[in-house]
Amino acid sequence: MAEITTNVAIGAADVGRRRIYRRLARWLGSDRIFPLIPFVLVECLIILTVLVPFVLTIWISLLKWRANRPFETAQFTGLENYAAVLATDQFWLALGRTFYFAGVAVALELCIGFVLAMLVSRCTRSRKFYTTLFLAPMMIVPIVVGYNFSMIYIDSGPLNQLLAPFIEHFGIDPRIRWLSHPIAAQWAIIIADVWQWTSLTFLIFLSGFAALPRQLVNAARVMGASPWQTFWRIELPLLKPAIVIAIIIRSMEALKLFDPVVLLTFGGPGTSTQTVAYFLWEQVWVFNKFSFGAAASILLLFIFSFLIFFGVYMLVSQRRAVEGDTP
Amino acid sequence: MNTELAAAAAAARHRKVRRQRVRGLTRHAVLLTWTAIIAFPLFWMISTSFKDAGEWVAWPPHWLPNRPTLHNYAQIFAFGALDPTLSRQATEQAFTIWKGLGDAVVVCTTASLLALLLGTFLAYAISRFKVGGPYFRHTILMIRMIPPIVVAISILIYYAIIIPYATSALLGVRISLFDTYLGLILIYAVTTLPFVIWMMLTFIDEVPYTLEHAARLMGARRFQIIRRVVLPLVASGMVVTFLFVFILNWAEFLLALTLTHPEVTTLTVLLNKFQSASEGRLYGPQAAIGTIVTIPVVVLGLLIQKHLVKGFSFGTIRK
Repeated sequence: MAEITTNVAIGAADVGRRRIYRRLARWLGSDRIFPLIPFVLVECLIILTVLVPFVLTIWISLLKWRANRPFETAQFTGLENYAAVLATDQFWLALGRTFYFAGVAVALELCIGFVLAMLVSRCTRSRKFYTTLFLAPMMIVPIVVGYNFSMIYIDSGPLNQLLAPFIEHFGIDPRIRWLSHPIAAQWAIIIADVWQWTSLTFLIFLSGFAALPRQLVNAARVMGASPWQTFWRIELPLLKPAIVIAIIIRSMEALKLFDPVVLLTFGGPGTSTQTVAYFLWEQVWVFNKFSFGAAASILLLFIFSFLIFFGVYMLVSQRRAVEGDTP
Repeated sequence: MNTELAAAAAAARHRKVRRQRVRGLTRHAVLLTWTAIIAFPLFWMISTSFKDAGEWVAWPPHWLPNRPTLHNYAQIFAFGALDPTLSRQATEQAFTIWKGLGDAVVVCTTASLLALLLGTFLAYAISRFKVGGPYFRHTILMIRMIPPIVVAISILIYYAIIIPYATSALLGVRISLFDTYLGLILIYAVTTLPFVIWMMLTFIDEVPYTLEHAARLMGARRFQIIRRVVLPLVASGMVVTFLFVFILNWAEFLLALTLTHPEVTTLTVLLNKFQSASEGRLYGPQAAIGTIVTIPVVVLGLLIQKHLVKGFSFGTIRK
């Protein structure tokens, strides 16, 4: 008798628990709660790994502190670090250099990528072959690209050997010191960047060309437009979204330039290839100037935030132009 | 008269054909030039990976190794003690790839899976319920636009100083996320989340809502709908997204360099160690590692080639 009652009791408890689970599942699955689950999870993750450190960085940028001393002994100094950063020529030079690299590299990538995409889109049989090949650099780890170029740029390397017959006519020493001459080193980095990221602009333009409405181009041709006119009056305006997007995406990435600098030149010779990312990294990692680095990174974020906002705005408006609907 | 006209027409046609042929040839010449430019560094890497130590920096450079050798590969894949017949430099710096490979696989896989799960879930919520307001999908893009070095310094300070400081004060235990798998995984997941959300949004937006509606009318629960209706339809998209994010994580360098030092070593950091080695650069083993690192990623990338533009352009371009 007693056994039966306990069994019944366990069964009742089991049923009750199951009912609670079911109710919980239904509550979690309801229209109001369900979409909030991932939202809250992601927001928590972002707050914990991006926002909290960011606020702390602002706090640290107001302290006088280097990593070789204990954190407790840090003194509050207000905006002194910011003043120090603003007064550092190296910071401004690095910033200017970053924009210079980004400008030159992105311009070259756009031109080369555009021409290549145009030529490939006119191919019929060999299109797949070229597309596959031209996309390869984008997938290679940037650090490997930097490393490859560091090998090619050696004074007695293959690049100098290839260039030697052309250069010797002009009486220049064929052993160009690619990585230890200030201007050559800058171009070395730009070339490496162009080599890798032209594939991305090529990809964007290729899909732009593929999406061109053929009827429009054909109609223009039937009406007697020369290829030149069709290109300037019809194809180019239709490709504008692709061009804008390529510019934005590549500029955003080019401003982050870091990997090839570390691998190729370590910012040298002197400081001639220091980008702003490398400058910050060096201040914090080599000189342990944490609060200085924190102040510089806040300033940098402030400077870049306009660009970030503008970039996202342009992406959104282009997306709307392409899709023709609300987000 | 007629024959003259016909001859003129034939000549014109001939000219046209010839012009087209010239144009085609120039086109292929330009494209093949670029092909050569693309292939040159890759060829040099693979060639160097088979060269002996004496040939790495020979002048004039050896385009193909005179005496092809597998020593470089033997060295990076070595377990424990190294073969004494390897070059002196190599034996002094007993780098092997296993630690880096293992760490990279663990970190990249976990981080990509985490980002994929959270991102897909959130993309579904955004697509169906407009959670976070109409502009949420754009604000999340901004995370990706922030230069990583800016974040890296904050996170370094946070991981290495603030968290240990706070935990030892509050809990009495010193916990640090610096140089741990968890720390790197979390930050990788967050930085790739925008890509996952944007790519998955394009896939989920394509699933017609009527299907879900029908399933619901037939009495399916929310989780059943997701498992039986939505997931099968976006599964291929999830695979593509996973591969894309995996490639991004695999290639990441700055954050790994900043947030880990002696313990966790991803492949990119390992490769950089070779580069800054004090006793001359070890070009051969480095080329071998480069080749090993490159092959899987290029293969994966070519598999998802069609979808790459979606990922990189945040859905701004339709393919």
